[in-house]
Amino acid sequence: MRTTSLRPIAALISFAALAACSSKGGDPARQYGPNPYLPEPRAYLLPPMSVPEAIGWKAGEMPTVSAGLKVEALATDLEHPRTLYTLPNGDILVVESNGPGTEAYRPKDFIAGSVKARAGAAEKGGNRITLIRPADGDGKPELRTVFIDHLYSPYGIVLVGDTLYVANTDAILAFNYVPGMTRITSPGVKIADLPAGPLDHHWTKSMTASADGSKLYVGVGSNSNITENGMAVEEGRAAIYEVDRLTGAKRIFASGTRNPTSVAFEPQTRQLFAVVNERDEIGPDLVPDYLTSIRQGGFYGWPYSYWGSHVDVRVHPQRPDLVAQAIEPDYGLSSHAAPLSLLFSEGEHLSSAFADGAFISEHGSWDRSPLNGYQVIFVSFVNGRPVGKPTPVVTGFLGKDNETVHGRPVGLALDRSGALLVADDVGNTVWRVSATQGGT
Amino acid sequence: MSHSVEQEATFNLSDSASGQAMQASARALLHRGFIGAGGVLLIAGFGTDCIYYTTALWQWANFSAWLITVGLIVTFVAAILLLIDFATGRAGRLNTGSFVMVTAAALLSLINAFVHSRDAWTSVVPQGILLSALSTILLLIAGARGWSLAISRAPGDRP
Repeated sequence: MRTTSLRPIAALISFAALAACSSKGGDPARQYGPNPYLPEPRAYLLPPMSVPEAIGWKAGEMPTVSAGLKVEALATDLEHPRTLYTLPNGDILVVESNGPGTEAYRPKDFIAGSVKARAGAAEKGGNRITLIRPADGDGKPELRTVFIDHLYSPYGIVLVGDTLYVANTDAILAFNYVPGMTRITSPGVKIADLPAGPLDHHWTKSMTASADGSKLYVGVGSNSNITENGMAVEEGRAAIYEVDRLTGAKRIFASGTRNPTSVAFEPQTRQLFAVVNERDEIGPDLVPDYLTSIRQGGFYGWPYSYWGSHVDVRVHPQRPDLVAQAIEPDYGLSSHAAPLSLLFSEGEHLSSAFADGAFISEHGSWDRSPLNGYQVIFVSFVNGRPVGKPTPVVTGFLGKDNETVHGRPVGLALDRSGALLVADDVGNTVWRVSATQGGT
Repeated sequence: MSHSVEQEATFNLSDSASGQAMQASARALLHRGFIGAGGVLLIAGFGTDCIYYTTALWQWANFSAWLITVGLIVTFVAAILLLIDFATGRAGRLNTGSFVMVTAAALLSLINAFVHSRDAWTSVVPQGILLSALSTILLLIAGARGWSLAISRAPGDRP
């Protein structure tokens, strides 16, 4: 793969071969766990692609849940719901958002735009947070209000004490919160800027707080797939930041994480974990997205390498010194599954099988055929480390024909009763998954 | 072959240099200017590929992608005009050598448009810049031969 000599005839033959064969991805099961299958990277004339058409849910249709669970719609007709957050009084916040939009830099970007539209990803976000107050016990909402309006592509949200932090794509805002509030009209106080424009390719700013509440951790995605927009716009991106919540002082806590779409602390060890979306266009089974513990000062490879020291030849100039430092992630989540939310369980609310571990939503692929993701899985943890193969928890987001998509799971949260909430940004619904019995 | 090219060149010279321009332009080949314009864009794509190769500044690779895409669109328009040139009797017969070279350059550039749709370094190096170089050589020869893919009917010829 590292040849740079110009061998015209070999090159032309390889073009013909590439144009002739379509490549199908293998079984995603091989890429879950600590040692995922990694095929050789390939270069394509037309990268593998399979774009399901977004059709939403008809009345009565809903996702499928594993045995012992039931699912119901908690809220419908939302505007691109992404992140979910449960307040201490049981109120549920739904961050309705989408990217601020990017300009087309290349002919390819026009095509990418229509692909996103077909898959239901180009829809305008609400740029607001909706509050849902479930009636006690039965999960049915008794109140639904616009909690905070006029945000700018918000994503991460966390309450520390009496302050609610919201990560817009360009800054962290702080709002004073009084328990029971149903609407905040104050504009919020900016505590720190976050890398945003120009471009803002991966716009989501995931966020969580340390257990003592002193620090916020913010996931910032890269500004490209693989540096095709130049290195200048990657300054301070593809990284996880640590932000002092009182002063707003920030520093890069870890780097090389291409798109860290969710950050969360493992409850027993208080170790920071992230799910990271990896790079596209070098094969249907490359590169596995991953779940990993985040070490302070750690470098996780992007853009120079993936899964440790596997060099990506698309980056120039290369940096062997950084590749040598690149950390192998803990746990593969298969390629192009697009994990967007990481939620650690808090005991046996749903099932004894889900007592210790993490729920992960897989938003689903279009960079791969056959499709991958479009489900919520559970990864078991033992002694604070992910182990074994994941269990599907919520499925059925894809149509039976595998060419249409009813919904795509994004944000996850546990409501106060321990039921699992799943935001669906194509179905514009929040689903509530609870145990069929056991009085949860 | 070389004889007919010479004829063509002579005709072109007299066309622009003499007072018979009006008479000639009435039956001028429609496709020729578009082949020239498309060819220049594709050749410019090789230029921007070379700059990207030496600087690795991403915007030069984007210029290449646009030049190749628009160059192909203009060349496609030229292909339609070539058919019209034949249908309306402007063109006498195919200028086989130039036709083969321009067609080959267009096919290479079509592949090259896909290569240039890749991300970052390998959208240009090595396959993209190689394809740009090959089509540039073909197009420069076609340009030296006057860009025309057909021999125009000489004034006074019977259709």
